[in-house]
Amino acid sequence: MTRRIARLFGRGGDLNPRNMRLGVWAWLIQRISGLVLVVFVVAHVVAISQASLVTKGPLFTLLDGLRNPFWYVDRTALAVDLLMLGIIAFHGMNGIRIVLFDTGIGVGLRSHKVIFWIVIAIAVVASGLVIYYGLPMLGGT
Amino acid sequence: MLLVVILGVHLWLANFGQASSSLRAVLGVVLLGLALFHGLNGVRTVIFDFNIGAQGHKFTTMLLLLLGVVSLLFGMYGLWPLIVGG
Repeated sequence: MTRRIARLFGRGGDLNPRNMRLGVWAWLIQRISGLVLVVFVVAHVVAISQASLVTKGPLFTLLDGLRNPFWYVDRTALAVDLLMLGIIAFHGMNGIRIVLFDTGIGVGLRSHKVIFWIVIAIAVVASGLVIYYGLPMLGGT
Repeated sequence: MLLVVILGVHLWLANFGQASSSLRAVLGVVLLGLALFHGLNGVRTVIFDFNIGAQGHKFTTMLLLLLGVVSLLFGMYGLWPLIVGG
Protein backbone atom coordinates (compact mmCIF):
# COMPACT_ATOMS: atom_id res chain seq x y z
CA MET A 1 0.00 0.00 0.00
CA THR A 2 2.76 2.43 1.00
CA ARG A 3 4.70 1.51 -2.13
CA ARG A 4 1.59 2.04 -4.29
CA ILE A 5 1.01 5.52 -2.78
CA ALA A 6 4.69 6.37 -3.30
CA ARG A 7 4.45 5.27 -6.96
CA LEU A 8 1.27 7.31 -7.48
CA PHE A 9 2.39 10.56 -5.85
CA GLY A 10 6.18 10.17 -5.76
CA ARG A 11 8.15 9.41 -2.59
CA GLY A 12 8.87 13.09 -1.92
CA GLY A 13 5.77 14.39 -3.73
CA ASP A 14 3.74 17.16 -2.12
CA LEU A 15 0.53 15.17 -2.52
CA ASN A 16 1.90 11.97 -1.00
CA PRO A 17 -0.30 11.68 2.13
CA ARG A 18 2.84 10.80 4.15
CA ASN A 19 4.37 14.20 3.31
CA MET A 20 1.22 16.30 3.56
CA ARG A 21 1.07 18.88 6.33
CA LEU A 22 -1.85 21.03 7.44
CA GLY A 23 -1.28 23.70 4.74
CA VAL A 24 -1.29 21.18 1.89
CA TRP A 25 -4.44 19.52 3.25
CA ALA A 26 -6.08 22.96 3.45
CA TRP A 27 -5.02 23.71 -0.16
CA LEU A 28 -6.31 20.34 -1.41
CA ILE A 29 -9.64 20.51 0.43
CA GLN A 30 -10.07 24.14 -0.72
CA ARG A 31 -9.69 23.04 -4.36
CA ILE A 32 -11.98 20.01 -4.06
CA SER A 33 -14.63 21.95 -2.10
CA GLY A 34 -14.46 24.73 -4.71
CA LEU A 35 -15.20 22.29 -7.53
CA VAL A 36 -18.06 20.74 -5.51
CA LEU A 37 -19.48 24.22 -4.83
CA VAL A 38 -19.47 25.16 -8.54
CA VAL A 39 -21.70 22.13 -9.21
CA PHE A 40 -23.85 23.10 -6.20
CA VAL A 41 -24.25 26.73 -7.36
CA VAL A 42 -25.37 25.61 -10.82
CA ALA A 43 -27.78 23.04 -9.28
CA HIS A 44 -29.08 25.70 -6.86
CA VAL A 45 -29.69 28.17 -9.72
CA VAL A 46 -31.43 25.45 -11.78
CA ALA A 47 -33.64 24.46 -8.80
CA ILE A 48 -34.78 28.05 -8.17
CA SER A 49 -35.28 28.74 -11.89
CA GLN A 50 -37.25 25.51 -12.36
CA ALA A 51 -39.63 26.73 -9.66
CA SER A 52 -40.10 29.92 -11.68
CA LEU A 53 -40.82 27.85 -14.79
CA VAL A 54 -43.58 25.74 -13.21
CA THR A 55 -45.14 28.16 -10.71
CA LYS A 56 -46.27 31.72 -11.16
CA GLY A 57 -46.34 34.29 -8.38
CA PRO A 58 -44.03 36.04 -5.94
CA LEU A 59 -40.63 34.46 -5.31
CA PHE A 60 -41.46 33.92 -1.63
CA THR A 61 -44.29 31.60 -2.69
CA LEU A 62 -41.90 29.74 -4.97
CA LEU A 63 -39.34 29.42 -2.21
CA ASP A 64 -41.98 28.16 0.20
CA GLY A 65 -42.68 25.42 -2.32
CA LEU A 66 -38.98 24.54 -2.37
CA ARG A 67 -38.56 24.64 1.39
CA ASN A 68 -40.35 21.46 2.38
CA PRO A 69 -38.80 19.04 -0.10
CA PHE A 70 -35.35 20.46 0.52
CA TRP A 71 -35.42 20.71 4.28
CA TYR A 72 -38.07 18.41 5.68
CA VAL A 73 -39.63 15.66 3.56
CA ASP A 74 -36.49 14.30 1.95
CA ARG A 75 -33.90 13.49 4.58
CA THR A 76 -31.24 12.76 1.95
CA ALA A 77 -31.71 16.24 0.45
CA LEU A 78 -31.51 17.68 3.97
CA ALA A 79 -28.24 15.81 4.55
CA VAL A 80 -26.87 17.14 1.23
CA ASP A 81 -27.91 20.70 2.16
CA LEU A 82 -26.22 20.42 5.56
CA LEU A 83 -23.10 18.99 3.92
CA MET A 84 -23.09 21.92 1.48
CA LEU A 85 -23.48 24.34 4.39
CA GLY A 86 -20.38 22.84 6.00
CA ILE A 87 -18.44 22.93 2.72
CA ILE A 88 -19.45 26.56 2.09
CA ALA A 89 -18.42 27.55 5.63
CA PHE A 90 -15.04 25.82 5.27
CA HIS A 91 -14.36 27.18 1.78
CA GLY A 92 -15.36 30.74 2.72
CA MET A 93 -13.42 30.90 5.98
CA ASN A 94 -10.34 29.20 4.53
CA GLY A 95 -10.56 31.72 1.67
CA ILE A 96 -10.46 34.55 4.21
CA ARG A 97 -7.39 32.90 5.80
CA ILE A 98 -5.70 32.87 2.37
CA VAL A 99 -6.51 36.58 1.88
CA LEU A 100 -5.05 37.32 5.34
CA PHE A 101 -1.98 35.26 4.42
CA ASP A 102 -1.60 37.19 1.13
CA THR A 103 -1.74 40.49 3.01
CA GLY A 104 1.02 39.37 5.36
CA ILE A 105 -1.13 38.42 8.36
CA GLY A 106 -0.35 35.01 9.85
CA VAL A 107 2.67 34.28 7.65
CA GLY A 108 4.75 32.55 10.34
CA LEU A 109 4.38 28.78 10.60
CA ARG A 110 2.87 28.87 14.08
CA SER A 111 0.45 31.77 13.45
CA HIS A 112 -0.44 30.09 10.13
CA LYS A 113 -1.70 27.04 12.05
CA VAL A 114 -3.37 29.09 14.78
CA ILE A 115 -5.27 31.23 12.24
CA PHE A 116 -6.32 28.08 10.36
CA TRP A 117 -7.90 26.57 13.47
CA ILE A 118 -9.49 29.93 14.42
CA VAL A 119 -11.21 30.26 11.01
CA ILE A 120 -12.32 26.61 11.19
CA ALA A 121 -13.83 27.28 14.62
CA ILE A 122 -15.66 30.33 13.19
CA ALA A 123 -16.93 28.17 10.31
CA VAL A 124 -18.25 25.53 12.74
CA VAL A 125 -19.95 28.16 14.94
CA ALA A 126 -21.49 29.94 11.91
CA SER A 127 -22.81 26.63 10.51
CA GLY A 128 -24.17 25.75 13.94
CA LEU A 129 -26.00 29.08 14.19
CA VAL A 130 -27.59 28.63 10.74
CA ILE A 131 -28.72 25.11 11.67
CA TYR A 132 -29.90 26.10 15.17
CA TYR A 133 -31.94 29.13 14.06
CA GLY A 134 -32.77 28.15 10.50
CA LEU A 135 -33.74 24.50 10.63
CA PRO A 136 -36.76 24.71 13.00
CA MET A 137 -38.15 27.67 10.99
CA LEU A 138 -37.91 25.65 7.79
CA GLY A 139 -39.81 22.66 9.17
CA GLY A 140 -36.88 20.42 10.01
CA THR A 141 -36.46 18.94 13.46
CA MET B 1 -14.27 38.74 1.12
CA LEU B 2 -17.31 40.45 -0.40
CA LEU B 3 -18.65 37.05 -1.47
CA VAL B 4 -18.47 35.73 2.12
CA VAL B 5 -20.27 38.82 3.46
CA ILE B 6 -23.05 38.70 0.83
CA LEU B 7 -23.38 34.93 1.29
CA GLY B 8 -23.85 35.52 5.03
CA VAL B 9 -26.62 38.06 4.30
CA HIS B 10 -28.15 35.61 1.79
CA LEU B 11 -28.26 32.79 4.39
CA TRP B 12 -29.66 35.19 6.99
CA LEU B 13 -32.43 36.38 4.65
CA ALA B 14 -33.19 32.81 3.54
CA ASN B 15 -33.87 31.90 7.16
CA PHE B 16 -35.33 35.07 8.65
CA GLY B 17 -36.63 36.95 5.59
CA GLN B 18 -36.67 40.61 6.67
CA ALA B 19 -35.85 42.67 3.56
CA SER B 20 -37.62 44.38 0.70
CA SER B 21 -37.98 42.64 -2.67
CA SER B 22 -35.71 45.17 -4.38
CA LEU B 23 -32.90 44.63 -1.84
CA ARG B 24 -33.28 40.85 -2.22
CA ALA B 25 -33.18 41.21 -6.01
CA VAL B 26 -30.00 43.32 -5.94
CA LEU B 27 -28.33 40.97 -3.44
CA GLY B 28 -29.44 37.94 -5.47
CA VAL B 29 -28.04 39.23 -8.76
CA VAL B 30 -24.78 40.47 -7.16
CA LEU B 31 -24.30 37.17 -5.30
CA LEU B 32 -25.07 35.17 -8.43
CA GLY B 33 -22.59 37.16 -10.53
CA LEU B 34 -19.82 37.03 -7.89
CA ALA B 35 -20.34 33.32 -7.16
CA LEU B 36 -20.33 32.39 -10.84
CA PHE B 37 -17.24 34.48 -11.61
CA HIS B 38 -15.36 33.20 -8.55
CA GLY B 39 -16.37 29.58 -9.11
CA LEU B 40 -15.75 29.40 -12.84
CA ASN B 41 -12.47 31.33 -12.51
CA GLY B 42 -11.45 28.74 -9.91
CA VAL B 43 -12.32 25.91 -12.31
CA ARG B 44 -10.26 27.71 -14.99
CA THR B 45 -7.27 27.88 -12.62
CA VAL B 46 -7.55 24.17 -11.78
CA ILE B 47 -7.76 23.26 -15.50
CA PHE B 48 -4.77 25.50 -16.34
CA ASP B 49 -2.69 23.56 -13.79
CA PHE B 50 -2.86 20.56 -16.15
CA ASN B 51 -0.65 22.22 -18.81
CA ILE B 52 -3.18 22.34 -21.63
CA GLY B 53 -1.30 24.82 -23.84
CA ALA B 54 -2.19 28.28 -25.17
CA GLN B 55 -5.01 27.01 -27.41
CA GLY B 56 -6.44 25.04 -24.49
CA HIS B 57 -6.29 28.14 -22.30
CA LYS B 58 -8.26 30.16 -24.83
CA PHE B 59 -10.81 27.39 -25.42
CA THR B 60 -11.31 26.80 -21.67
CA THR B 61 -11.73 30.52 -20.98
CA MET B 62 -14.29 30.93 -23.75
CA LEU B 63 -16.21 27.79 -22.74
CA LEU B 64 -16.37 28.84 -19.08
CA LEU B 65 -17.30 32.40 -20.05
CA LEU B 66 -20.19 31.05 -22.11
CA LEU B 67 -21.27 28.76 -19.27
CA GLY B 68 -21.11 31.71 -16.86
CA VAL B 69 -23.22 34.00 -19.06
CA VAL B 70 -25.84 31.27 -19.64
CA SER B 71 -25.96 30.45 -15.90
CA LEU B 72 -26.24 34.14 -15.03
CA LEU B 73 -29.16 34.63 -17.43
CA PHE B 74 -30.86 31.45 -16.20
CA GLY B 75 -30.37 32.52 -12.59
CA MET B 76 -31.74 36.00 -13.33
CA TYR B 77 -34.76 34.33 -14.88
CA GLY B 78 -35.24 32.49 -11.57
CA LEU B 79 -34.99 35.79 -9.70
CA TRP B 80 -37.29 37.54 -12.17
CA PRO B 81 -40.33 37.73 -9.80
CA LEU B 82 -38.12 39.69 -7.38
CA ILE B 83 -36.58 41.88 -10.08
CA VAL B 84 -39.96 42.96 -11.44
CA GLY B 85 -41.25 43.37 -7.90
CA GLY B 86 -43.41 40.25 -7.47
